[in-house]
Amino acid sequence: MLAQLAIHAIHTAGNTCTATSPPSGCQPAWLDTGSTSWQLTAATFVALMSVPGLALLYGGLVPKKWVVNTMFMAFSGFSAVLVVWVLWAYKMGFGTPLGGGSADHYNYTYGGNFFKNFFYNFVGHPETSLRGTSETSQASLPIGTAAPLSQPTASLFYFQFVFAAITPLLFLGSVLGRIKIRVWMIFVPLWTTFVYAVNAMLLWGGGYWAHEGAIDYSGGYVIHLAAGTSGFVAAWLVGPRLAQDRQRFIPHSLPLVSIGAGIVWLGWNGFNGGDPYFASADAATAVVNTNLATVAALLTWVVLDMFLSKEKKPTFLGAVNGMIVGLVAITPAAGYVNGGGAMLSAVIASAIVWCAWTYLQPILLRRVDDAMGVVYTHGLAGLCGGLLVGIFADPSVVVYPNTTSGTPFAAEGWWYGNRHLFFEQLGAAATIIVWDAVVTFIILKVISLFTPLRMSDADLEIGDLAVHGEEAYPSDEGVRLTGAGTTSASAVGTTTVQGAGL
Amino acid sequence: MQLITAIVRPHKVSDVLNAVQTFGFHGMTVSEVSGFGKQRGHTEIYRGAEYANEFQPKAKIELVAHDEEVSELLRLIRSAAATGRIGDGKIWVLPLSELLRVRTAERGIDAI
Repeated sequence: MLAQLAIHAIHTAGNTCTATSPPSGCQPAWLDTGSTSWQLTAATFVALMSVPGLALLYGGLVPKKWVVNTMFMAFSGFSAVLVVWVLWAYKMGFGTPLGGGSADHYNYTYGGNFFKNFFYNFVGHPETSLRGTSETSQASLPIGTAAPLSQPTASLFYFQFVFAAITPLLFLGSVLGRIKIRVWMIFVPLWTTFVYAVNAMLLWGGGYWAHEGAIDYSGGYVIHLAAGTSGFVAAWLVGPRLAQDRQRFIPHSLPLVSIGAGIVWLGWNGFNGGDPYFASADAATAVVNTNLATVAALLTWVVLDMFLSKEKKPTFLGAVNGMIVGLVAITPAAGYVNGGGAMLSAVIASAIVWCAWTYLQPILLRRVDDAMGVVYTHGLAGLCGGLLVGIFADPSVVVYPNTTSGTPFAAEGWWYGNRHLFFEQLGAAATIIVWDAVVTFIILKVISLFTPLRMSDADLEIGDLAVHGEEAYPSDEGVRLTGAGTTSASAVGTTTVQGAGL
Repeated sequence: MQLITAIVRPHKVSDVLNAVQTFGFHGMTVSEVSGFGKQRGHTEIYRGAEYANEFQPKAKIELVAHDEEVSELLRLIRSAAATGRIGDGKIWVLPLSELLRVRTAERGIDAI
């Protein structure tokens, strides 16, 4: 039955498919199996960066009493994003802009009225992506690619979802250890709708900055600058952690950090490698550049720790910080720069963020409790990377060799003679910072009219056990099953009672 | 010489440490313990099954003091650890018959 349906669908698409056809011959003519499978693989890599990657990275960095809460927020935030993404947010980021127009023709006049150009093209019409045809049809982006895409909408939809989902999980690091769960569960979908969708449309979905020529390969602005900015504003509005938590916020497990950070690093191969939307030479270039930048930034941070820090010691968590800065800094540039540009950008970004982390953070932390320092390792690193691609973008690194216009597509930075790009990058960064800060502020102010943003002090003193009734590492001493449990649960309970020797 | 043992809420340990250091005291031992007093246990939920845990996590602080320091130390530890709610803990004092510092082999009051 299923096979018959499939054959019917392909016949409607106008292909002939016989028993001796190659597998690709039984697909619609626009579909390339290699690019589609790479897109789905890359998307899964990025999803793994969120769960379990960030859940373990942040889970390991918090004290024992906050592990469950942190992991819970990662899994619940990830889920909350997909619901709004499929119902309305994907089309707000990647659909028809508010100002109307079609895929080829926007309501946009180069050099025309700024306000009209900007607000016609800063967010898309909210529309559902639930329909079957909207999943199986050929993917398209308004002006996102210079070549027609060779994958279905579903794979592009999912790839873009995992980016939307990881962004709130990044700024989870700013607000963990005190934000109320119910606030988190409302804040995340609102933020995706009013902040993330706008960022995505502006730079990727064919919005204002995409028209103007600003570039962001995989989200140095849309994701990392956004997470840093919003996290910082949210940390300020939610208020600080408990004073005694701030004094002793000891990472409870460095091995967990190691697992989480490793998944984040290698997941980034999909994060940057998936962004040309083709299994192409530029995809491979982006993966190599990502790793070059990461090792350069990691080693820069370690060397600075060894020679300039107070303790003069190479630390593991310093290496992880450097790793994140490298990954973030190369994100806006991965498929636009060459290997030298990648490493140079990473060294510069790592040195800048290291200085901010070492000298600025102790002062700022007293005023705004950005618990994990997201504004540095993501916000500042994303800003550095976004500006540096305006300098190091190499026109010989071709993103799309064949395009509908006939000319290969590549970006050219200041170093290669085009200083225009750098100022585009500056303008896009300013837009993201202002919009994200203001809207994050408004969303949280509105939520705070209905419920306090922060947990009660009594709950904060206890942590996971007060909020969830669970502990990361429960003791089995003095424990017995109570209440009505299922048969299997009772059996477990009996064992527990015997084991406790009561 | 007296041995002071204080059972307090885990998150009050740093307050007690500060109070004791302000007093000029230079040593104490802290361990994680669990037990029950007037404050009964708590409920934990794993996969829908509820478990009653009879024991609360507490911190045990032990320090050795001169006889004349004891009442002042008790007052300091008590005020640092108190919240007024059930479950603040207990402090008890026992006479100590001997004390020896391992490094120097000093004995008695000299070893405090």
